[in-house]
Amino acid sequence: MDTLIALAGGFAVALTWQNLFFALIGSALGTMMGALPGLGPANGVAILIPLAFSLGLGPVPALILLTSVYYGCMYGGRISSILLNIPGDEPAMMTCLDGYPMARNGRAGEALSLSGYASFFGSFFATIGLAILAPQLVRIALLFGPAEYFALFALAFATLGGISSTNQAKAAFAAFLGLMLAMVGVDTQTGTPRLTMGEIHLYDGIDFLVVIVGLFALSEVLIFIEERHGGASAQQAPAIGRIVPSWSLVRHCMPAMTRSTVLGFLAGVLPGAGASLGSFIAYAVEKKVSDRDGTFGKGDPRGVAAPEAGNNAAAGGALVPMLALGVPGSGTTAVLLAVLLAMNITPGPLLFTNNPDVVWGLIAALLIGNVMLLIMNIPMVSLFARVLLLPSRFLMPVVAMISFVGVYGISGSNFDMMMMVLFGVLGWALRKLDVPLVPVVLGVLLGNEMEVNLRRAMTISDGDWSVLLASPLAIGLWSIAIAGFVLPIFTGAMVKRRMKATAVAESAIAEMDRGD
Amino acid sequence: MFKAFRSAAVIAAIVGAGSPAFAFEPHQPACIAPSGAGGGWDFTCRQTGKVLQDLGLIDGTMQVTNLEGGGGGVAFAEVVTKRNNENDLIVAASSATTTRLAQGAYPRNTMDQVRWVGTIGADYGVIGVSASSDIDSLQALIEKVKEDPRAIAFAGGSAVGGWDHLKVLLTARAAGVDDVKQIKYVAFSGGGEAMTQLLAGSVQAFTGDISEAQGFVESGDLKVLAVLAPERLPGKAADFPTAEEQGIDAIGANWRGFYAPGGMSDEAYDYWVTSIQKMYENDEWKKVMETNGLAPLDLSGAAFQDFVFQNVQEIQDLSKEIGILK
Amino acid sequence: MSDRIFGGLGLLFSIFYIWQASLVEDSFMTDAVGPRTFPYILGAGLAIASLIIILRPDAGAHWPAGRQLFELAMAVAVMGIYAWFLPAVGFVIATTLASAYLTWRLGTKPATAVLFGIGSAAGIYVVFKLALGLSLATGPLGI
Repeated sequence: MDTLIALAGGFAVALTWQNLFFALIGSALGTMMGALPGLGPANGVAILIPLAFSLGLGPVPALILLTSVYYGCMYGGRISSILLNIPGDEPAMMTCLDGYPMARNGRAGEALSLSGYASFFGSFFATIGLAILAPQLVRIALLFGPAEYFALFALAFATLGGISSTNQAKAAFAAFLGLMLAMVGVDTQTGTPRLTMGEIHLYDGIDFLVVIVGLFALSEVLIFIEERHGGASAQQAPAIGRIVPSWSLVRHCMPAMTRSTVLGFLAGVLPGAGASLGSFIAYAVEKKVSDRDGTFGKGDPRGVAAPEAGNNAAAGGALVPMLALGVPGSGTTAVLLAVLLAMNITPGPLLFTNNPDVVWGLIAALLIGNVMLLIMNIPMVSLFARVLLLPSRFLMPVVAMISFVGVYGISGSNFDMMMMVLFGVLGWALRKLDVPLVPVVLGVLLGNEMEVNLRRAMTISDGDWSVLLASPLAIGLWSIAIAGFVLPIFTGAMVKRRMKATAVAESAIAEMDRGD
Repeated sequence: MFKAFRSAAVIAAIVGAGSPAFAFEPHQPACIAPSGAGGGWDFTCRQTGKVLQDLGLIDGTMQVTNLEGGGGGVAFAEVVTKRNNENDLIVAASSATTTRLAQGAYPRNTMDQVRWVGTIGADYGVIGVSASSDIDSLQALIEKVKEDPRAIAFAGGSAVGGWDHLKVLLTARAAGVDDVKQIKYVAFSGGGEAMTQLLAGSVQAFTGDISEAQGFVESGDLKVLAVLAPERLPGKAADFPTAEEQGIDAIGANWRGFYAPGGMSDEAYDYWVTSIQKMYENDEWKKVMETNGLAPLDLSGAAFQDFVFQNVQEIQDLSKEIGILK
Repeated sequence: MSDRIFGGLGLLFSIFYIWQASLVEDSFMTDAVGPRTFPYILGAGLAIASLIIILRPDAGAHWPAGRQLFELAMAVAVMGIYAWFLPAVGFVIATTLASAYLTWRLGTKPATAVLFGIGSAAGIYVVFKLALGLSLATGPLGI
């Protein structure tokens, strides 16, 4: 009851015309920045900080503007994933796996709307969770020491097999390659540069932005150029399909959204795991639970709903440690934290008692922004989908140029752009060889945290490896990881047999969805 | 909402009040932030740019360029090799810059290749333990370390050899620990994460800056054993004893400030030194400092040059002693 | 066959990587695991994955040749040149040229491609520089 009263107070703070206006602007800009490859939520928020300052905004309107950009990016990232097979930001990577095939099958409209609903579902319940549980949830973050984090990342990679490729060896190859790239740079535990070959630009490591934009966006451009000159019949622009998904389809995806919201939210609560892990775990679990007919990866709507609900829920979850501990769980929350500090608000254990108006105003703002995003995104689906109707000979050069601008505008380094071209070529080659790209990016994103947590645990225990299994939580995580790794080897044959029935099953599902 | 407009009006009033005349005025004032958008140096540039503009010390806005890489080394090299004669340019810097310069982490670059403009404040170091710990003073902590260096793990937000780590080593050395290399330091990505692990009980002690620690002291989670400042700090931090009071002569200030290209003309250099100085003295900047947990540290022009020189020397000596530098 | 070559390259790369990792110097302080262990594990993992790929290859991929390969190489070269010269030439000029080239090679008439190049450069400039305030490369002409 107290929560409701406090929330009502929050709405009283947040519901002014000025704030609604900022929520609208933030949502629109956020969606756009999320959709542009190269610009993600962290940069999106950072870019708008000067605007918030130069307008002389108070804490609440400034937070409303910036968090609606944050949530907006989470919505926007899916758009380019679905339409172009290029993730707009890193958490949207998993949405490519089923979103793009759906668009190819002429269901772009449905994929966009469904993912919009899933995004809303995920962020809405995550925000509620944030409101009710934040102080208690902090305890979860405190359960995770270095050993537990290491087990968690091991779990993520153990369940990777078979997510995005039928060839396990190639998926493993991709994951190892990503992890190896993550090792480049100054080693934080000893301060020595590793694998940089003396190149100072590599001392800070390889930015995942460069990797993801190169691997996905530039390789897409290269594939297109190759097809165009290969005399292959120009791909027909696929139909957009119906815009509003049938109720039975939404219902069909509802269990997926629910599971993914919970998982994504928990992943978000853990600092260092973040939205990418949230959407990844949501997709991985959903595939394990629901993929009875091998339709995942071929345009299964649940494969679109799960990661979208997951990454939006993770965005909400990431605010828990940021507000209650002052620990940013991701790049974006690090930027938001800096903004709060600049406004004389110190997030941390005392925030909820010292600045309840800010906390509840923020939570109310998140709910407002979320509703606004839904209202804005659904009617615009048909507009977004029109991107598909643009001839690729115009679309692709623009994609390439925006990729460059995104990377250069953030880092100001043309070395990064050169690297991006290299990753474009690498991505093209890997695609031709049927090596999945998702594990590479996941490796780059999580590799450092994984290694560093192993080494922190070992430093603290003075080299005693048993520390890795010292807590019940760690043992639990390892058990799941091992089960996740071993089970597919036994069930793999079974799944392969089922896959043969895929084509039949898929068309049956499509029939069912449309038949409403 | 009206508060926002009111403060805007105050700013406007300040702007109207003074329009100083200089022999040099930047045509297009620019600031390089050697970090990505949203990083610490980025904030230094943007906040300074905003206040300078509010005070009418620059015309128009400060153009902030991000130039990430090499922990600031890419920006340093760019300024030295390509933009050495620019008069409109300043670059954000901090203790991290001098630490890396001292340790030779910017290949082929040294501190005398640029002109050091001034500081805009400092964040003093603290060493603390969890509130439930039975260690009550810096002396007691150091005693434990002397008995068994592996018993106490320090958590900090910088890499090994970085500033949070050096603060512990400086303090231990001043307290007479023989082999400071034995001290256990665990690097986390940021002070907040280090603090979380202290609360989770993974480590025994915390090393960081006062701005990171303040909130956790107020919430009763953290016990600050010493602040590494020359004297007690003003405001809420006044309760924290300095290391010096406890007979350990260690000071660790993480300053924030700017350098300018080495070939900058004297008029332009004077302009920037005076402008940063004026900004520092203004009440609006005092507010920015307060909200960002910055303690006073007012050095500019020649005094700052000397300070940087000394700072680099100190870090070099320490790094040599403990073997980071050969 | 493609997969066998690919696996071979992977194997060579893992050897190179392990060699590079072995060159990582110990610093004044070394933790229990050290800076080389994890890279060694990863290099070994990649080598094993490469071996499996060599032993059990998938059906060969189709690779471009002749003209197709030339077009690809040219596109990559244009992107590389763009990345290299962007800071010197300035955003608008460099982007106009690169965008026009790609549009032209993707089957647009040269005149249209040039117009589209100018249009796309200007459009991106407006969105990123003027609306979002990112610092794009400033060339001699100030754009």
